[in-house]
Amino acid sequence: MTEKPKIGVYVCHCGINISATVDVETVADYALKLPNVEVARTYSYMCSDPGQVLIKKDIKEHGLNRVIVASCSPRMHEPTFRKAIQEAGLNPYYLEMANIREQCSWVHQNIDEGTAKSKKLVAASVAKVRLLEALESKEVDAEPSALVIGAGIAGIQAALDIADAGFKVYLVEKTPSVGGRMAQLDKTFPTLDCSACILTPKMVDCASHPNIELLSYSEVEEIGGYIGNFEVKVRKKARYVDFDKCTGCGDCATECRVKDRFPSEFDQGMGKRSAIYLPFPQAVPAKYTIDPEDCLFLSKGKCGKAPKCAEACRPGAINFDQVDEIVEFKVGAVIVATGFDPFDASRKPEYGYSDYPNVITGMEMERLVSASGPTGGKLKIFTGEGEIEPKEVAFIKCVGSRDESVGNVYCSRVCCMYVAKQAHLLRDKLPDANIRVYYMDVRAFGKGFEEFYDRVRRENVRYIRGNPSEIFKRGDKLVVKVEDTLTATPLEDEVDLVVLGVGLEPRDDMRQTMELLRLSQSPDRFFLEAHPKLRPVDTATEGVFLAGCCQGPKDIPDTVAQAKGAASSAMIPLARGKVMISAQVATVDESTCRGCGFCVNICPYKAIELVTVNRYGHEIEVARVNEALCKGCGSCSAGCLSDSIQPKSFRDRQILPQIAALGVLK
Amino acid sequence: MDLEQLRKTAAEVVARDDVKYLIGWKKGSYGSRVAPAFVEDAASVIELIFSPSCTANLATYLTLVEKTPLPRGQETDKRKVALMAKGCDSRAVVQLLVEKGIHREDVIVIGCPCPGMIDQSLLAGKYGDTEERSEVRWNGKDFTLVRGGDEIEIPRNDVLAEKCRLCRHPNPVISDYLIGEAVKEWDPAEDSGVGELEAKDVDGRGDYWEGQFSRCVRCYSCRNVCPLCYCQDCILDRLNPTWINRAVNFSENTAFNISRAFHLAGRCIECGECERVCPANIPLGKINRKMAREVREKYGFEPGLDPDAEPFQASFKPDDPEDFIL
Repeated sequence: MTEKPKIGVYVCHCGINISATVDVETVADYALKLPNVEVARTYSYMCSDPGQVLIKKDIKEHGLNRVIVASCSPRMHEPTFRKAIQEAGLNPYYLEMANIREQCSWVHQNIDEGTAKSKKLVAASVAKVRLLEALESKEVDAEPSALVIGAGIAGIQAALDIADAGFKVYLVEKTPSVGGRMAQLDKTFPTLDCSACILTPKMVDCASHPNIELLSYSEVEEIGGYIGNFEVKVRKKARYVDFDKCTGCGDCATECRVKDRFPSEFDQGMGKRSAIYLPFPQAVPAKYTIDPEDCLFLSKGKCGKAPKCAEACRPGAINFDQVDEIVEFKVGAVIVATGFDPFDASRKPEYGYSDYPNVITGMEMERLVSASGPTGGKLKIFTGEGEIEPKEVAFIKCVGSRDESVGNVYCSRVCCMYVAKQAHLLRDKLPDANIRVYYMDVRAFGKGFEEFYDRVRRENVRYIRGNPSEIFKRGDKLVVKVEDTLTATPLEDEVDLVVLGVGLEPRDDMRQTMELLRLSQSPDRFFLEAHPKLRPVDTATEGVFLAGCCQGPKDIPDTVAQAKGAASSAMIPLARGKVMISAQVATVDESTCRGCGFCVNICPYKAIELVTVNRYGHEIEVARVNEALCKGCGSCSAGCLSDSIQPKSFRDRQILPQIAALGVLK
Repeated sequence: MDLEQLRKTAAEVVARDDVKYLIGWKKGSYGSRVAPAFVEDAASVIELIFSPSCTANLATYLTLVEKTPLPRGQETDKRKVALMAKGCDSRAVVQLLVEKGIHREDVIVIGCPCPGMIDQSLLAGKYGDTEERSEVRWNGKDFTLVRGGDEIEIPRNDVLAEKCRLCRHPNPVISDYLIGEAVKEWDPAEDSGVGELEAKDVDGRGDYWEGQFSRCVRCYSCRNVCPLCYCQDCILDRLNPTWINRAVNFSENTAFNISRAFHLAGRCIECGECERVCPANIPLGKINRKMAREVREKYGFEPGLDPDAEPFQASFKPDDPEDFIL
């Protein structure tokens, strides 16, 4: 830099957040004595409009060319102050933030300590700010289309919103039909709308929408690129049924030689399906699929003289020679709506889910009470002895949630209400049954939830506060061993049916999606959002958004709300048609790079590649950064043995003086 | 070792149009010492030898070659380089391939199965160092020193180099030509040097290395001979920022040696060259072998065995141990 640094230091009170433990005036006085500091001021809220005006005015009046704001973490307000100094004519990257809140005032109680540390942090920023370089952000074109992964209610809603706004959407669903978990539910709490009645119109819409390309029975194999320009590769799995010819009549499934032999995934294994099947009657698309593992012809090579499905199919849609197809396209944004897995109840062996047929999960209960379920909505329960209509029913809540022994500390947020709803539905069907709910707490927090819970209790459903320790068999009854903790009474309740209110878990194929998009997990193992409060649908990967239960357990209204939020966030780059590329990216010194490619391996964003360059007549390989993909995280720099790759604004020569000023280095 | 086969193969290789030269060993200028040979034509293959004195790792010459600026219009020499490589040398080649320091198509590996090399200083200590030309040979189990017409039987363990006592890979792990038959692998000796250090407490280890590093003269021989120290511009030489001050004192010497050890973690193939060339006799092998042991035991990784491996320092597995992270 040729011009002499003229630094302005702005120390923020942050109300009393900082000023209670840091003497901000002393810090400002100290800063004024540091080399090249022209002005140092304090203000109650530097991020407020008057605070920003203060800085802008000083830039003009004092000719400042570097600005330090000593306030909070840069995460929130660095963009605010960059914009402010840019408006005053400075390069936005001539800003340094000294974090004297999160890293100082909030962690100290003694004002002397807090003040002394703030002085050091400000001195360190002064040491660095003079070494910053002017950087320019760039803009690149964005593809006006989106990819939505997962076609449950979250994915369907997000796809519909984006498509309605006029953008192309690729909706990829792993299973043969859209609908997801919601399609399996009977009624929805607390309003008792029929799940199918409110979902199926949306399912049909997303298949017929001119802007949505539905890729069912497909999986995303690869995603490259960056916000605005993702390159997607999708595998359309072979259905062995010609999609265009199949009319969905179902003659094939009726004639299948192994008709109704296999557990139906949709009916939670309680119903049966053939090797060629439609997952459920309202499936979208209404096209049959052959399960290659179940089909005799595909798994054994032989199905009688000839496969009967092919004979039965009048349009001639069966095609055993079909192979997987790879589809490639570009999108500007990605929404991940991959959903959840219900907790596997066999991991709580004390509840006997694997041992007793009349211990069932909440999801199984949904299918059992559904009019389209395996029993046509009749409550027929198989015990070891035979089929009965239960007289004594027990619900157990928090199975696999709030339970450190299975590694799930979180609350699944839907079990309280779905158990109440199921208790209500059971009461409708079994007016004389004894229905009990064993609970730790009742969390009826949503709109209309508490009212619904009250209603269910008035319907003579007994809520017993206690977490059952064991379920075992006595005669033809199941015994629930529990302590009623409100009366301190040990109980052994004999029942005919136990419904486990299983919680929600991250999907077991979560890691695949994580690797595909370089996403992170929060401690509960669900996908991590960019900020828990202010960026709840964003991820650390720009242009990738989260919707629904893949981010954490949610009920349907919350899922739909988040899907709409994700859709509107995803539409920002699509609507603008351009995306800004951060200027704080890694840069390679090609004269010292030895081309080993460690950084290529290390980069979590696939932003670096090796390219061949000419060095004084010799062809050599060096690393090159794709600035659109780079997040400036600095991992490459940490791994580089020759220090040849460095993030701009965080180069060694910029941060080492900063560290030295802290008194760490000699 | 079949010298005839070696020289025949070498002649064949260097005669090829796409080969620049062959790097091998030839007799040195005194005693039983050897020197590196750069053979460019078939007539010169006669000087090539392979004996228990060929302790040095020649793989370092693959990256040591300087790429001086070429006059405009002149093409870069893309011919291959052939290299005689023992087990340990071949591991250096593999590690260089992993790190893209060289490309597979640019090197021809003449694999030399190695029955064990001698440590010249042990030999000199026990049998004297003379200017007179002598020769050490393998005689099956032990070594024979041929000097002034005398043939002296030397028990193997009297003069065997430490790296060979500990060797787990005496046969080349990669080669285009193999000279002679693969040797039978021997049980590596217990690494007592590292074991003794591990038995010391932190202060004990500190005292030990203080004693060693205080003697370092910062000649950088260890770095210059190392086949895996091939950065264009070593960060330990940089002035902005100055990671290591040029002053030769305990503090800076330690920073230098520890930095080098860290840079070699998961990369060092235990050829022992750093220790062999150290004029201050600092047991640098111990520090590198300790790192290698950590990498092997904690991460199940051994460098220089699989050319398709991901570089250790640039890869991770989700179940990597992290109990040592504070």
